[in-house]
Amino acid sequence: MRKKTAVWLLVVLLFILPACSGGGSAGGASNGEGNGKSAQENTDKKDKTTLRIAWWGGDKRHEYTQQIVDKYQELNPHVKIDVEYAAFDDYWKKLAPQAAANQLPDIVQMDISYIVQYAKNGQLEDLTSYIGDQIKVDDVNENVISTGKINDVQYGVPTGVNVLGFQYDPELLKKSGVDSIPENWTWDQYEEIALKVRDAGYVMDGSMAPDIFFHYFLRTHGLSLYNQEGTALGYEDDALFAEFFGRLARLIKEGAVPSQEKLTQTKGILEESEIVKGSGVGVWQWSNQYVGLQAAVNRPMELAPMTGPNMEKGLYMQPSMFWSITSHSKNKEEAAKFIDFWINDVEANKWIKGERGVPISASIKEAIVSELSEPEKQVFDFVAAMEEKSSPMSPAPPVGSPQVIASLADLVEQINYGQVTPEKAAATFRQEANAVLANNK
Amino acid sequence: MFTILPGGAGALRKQSLRANLTGYAFISPFVIGFLAFTLIPIVISLYLSFTNYNLFNDPQWIGTFNFKKMFTQDQKYWNSVRVTFIYVFAGVPLRLMFALFVAMLLNTKSRMVGVYRTVYYLPSIIGGSVAVSIMWRNIFNEQGIVNSLLIFLGIPPVAWYGDPNAALGTLIALSVWQFGSSMLIFLAGLKNISPEMYEAASIDGATAPRKFMKITLPLLSPIILFNLIMQTISAFMTFVPAYIISKGEGTPMDGTLLYSLYLFRQAFMFNNMGYAAAMAWVMLIMIGIMTAILFKTSKFWVFYESKGGR
Repeated sequence: MRKKTAVWLLVVLLFILPACSGGGSAGGASNGEGNGKSAQENTDKKDKTTLRIAWWGGDKRHEYTQQIVDKYQELNPHVKIDVEYAAFDDYWKKLAPQAAANQLPDIVQMDISYIVQYAKNGQLEDLTSYIGDQIKVDDVNENVISTGKINDVQYGVPTGVNVLGFQYDPELLKKSGVDSIPENWTWDQYEEIALKVRDAGYVMDGSMAPDIFFHYFLRTHGLSLYNQEGTALGYEDDALFAEFFGRLARLIKEGAVPSQEKLTQTKGILEESEIVKGSGVGVWQWSNQYVGLQAAVNRPMELAPMTGPNMEKGLYMQPSMFWSITSHSKNKEEAAKFIDFWINDVEANKWIKGERGVPISASIKEAIVSELSEPEKQVFDFVAAMEEKSSPMSPAPPVGSPQVIASLADLVEQINYGQVTPEKAAATFRQEANAVLANNK
Repeated sequence: MFTILPGGAGALRKQSLRANLTGYAFISPFVIGFLAFTLIPIVISLYLSFTNYNLFNDPQWIGTFNFKKMFTQDQKYWNSVRVTFIYVFAGVPLRLMFALFVAMLLNTKSRMVGVYRTVYYLPSIIGGSVAVSIMWRNIFNEQGIVNSLLIFLGIPPVAWYGDPNAALGTLIALSVWQFGSSMLIFLAGLKNISPEMYEAASIDGATAPRKFMKITLPLLSPIILFNLIMQTISAFMTFVPAYIISKGEGTPMDGTLLYSLYLFRQAFMFNNMGYAAAMAWVMLIMIGIMTAILFKTSKFWVFYESKGGR
């Protein structure tokens, strides 16, 4: 009798488990209504192609992306697009199990910190054969399109580009006795200005993201944070680490930048940042963050280039994100056509307006200029000016980079709290980072 | 299990089989749920704790390497253990004392007592939720109420979440403030102590503190033990407040990097699923040991009326 019960139980289990997993994998954020419709339409028209597309972002992005998807379906009645979207953290938690189960959507939005992992694990399609064919890139700068290459294989098409800079309030700078930011300014000049700002009772900035700006600093020396293969750090001289973070810590000590206590406390709260409160001059960050900041600050602002020497060597166009096609997709050509629509369609880009970075196509940039608000225009102009001065991007961060970046952020925090010297932190960072990166050998 | 009667045994067996099957059918939702969502995941996580697994590649068997790394090489791991122990050993006793104190206040006869009980319980209903943590963050942030008050009193403001010495304390304060559920259990316990005891003691001339020490505490001790164990276990597993308040990073200087937060970082930020599984198992053992110790010590201080005092 027991045996029979066991068999019976097993049957029930077998029945229920696949049902559970099936339900789980289909779960997109928005396909409640969509799925029902698609079943019906598929019976009407058997040869209809269904594409699944996934992205992360906020409400505004979801809205206009859906608008574009609808428009595309209208223009291409043979294509039906199912959308899935989520916030950044949830997006990756959802994508990883889908990848493990070979159930990724046809088109996925990729971030620079994840693309290597997905590419190396064979999840992404090589787009080389689609480029120039389905995906037209005649108007795209070579430095920009190549950001989607990993080991010379095109795994993603950038949706747009950002560039680093100093976003500041010129009025406060004048009040501190600095008329304007000098052309081709250097780190030393930056420090001098910061001290003048302090003397006037303001602070210079709200600190820099350590991994991004240290990486830039290394590039101005012709180096990089990671080596080409991603198996170790890309620089040998720990003095560079000590020089860069030593200077930043010194600025804190001198009172030209808020203390680490304050930075930790106000981190991620735009309303509490010094520049929004009117006591800070500027912020070092990516150009796509300018429009939001400008809205919060609500005073005239400007963008200034990075500090030198050798800014041209250090500066690069950073893809805000990529569109990638997954290797298990059954409709790769249709997927490529949709990506082309995204890059080259004027109407679509009038909705996007650079929300996913400044468009990569030059003709699109011109076509939508009239649609832009004043701050958006400033960003477009700034990125255009910087594009001429930029060098090719370093290879995308290797597998394990989130852990390396966390380790760096920790050590920088310790330096800023005065718990460890920059020299000692440099050595610790080398050891910790190389231990993680050694897994890529 | 079955009574076998001569003659009608076969028929009876058939009948009981059917009855049993119905029974199994009714409990099957739980059994299946338990197998699919509890037992099997537990077994898999035990397996994963001996592997190197990043979600993409198949798990590689690496024996006890994860545990060795945890105990001998990972300073951050030990830091998270230290932070968690401080959090538990400072937070739980404080919370229980506070809960008992409020429970005794609410045990008095007063007209509004029903309202007070509800109000004091509220923080626990919204308990470990994200909303409370965000509110707490706002109360203690740079321009929050607390700092405004300090400035008003002429005291320099404190960077509650920015100062490595203050951040954990603020987290503990949040945990003490969520005393409602243990308070309610204490209240039920207090109601169970018969008023005659206190009356008799009063006649003998006992003072209030003496009544508290000699009557309330001993009679409440089984409930204290229950609360102590439940609160210790849940304190070990605290995650949400630290995650929200430190933006998921355990800042400043890993001062709020609780065990479960570090586990989460290893699993979902660094994709070290194997290592995180190993950490989870060590945590389980740690909680088991703590609970066992509490039970062992209980025979020295817990008083059961029904068993002649023990």
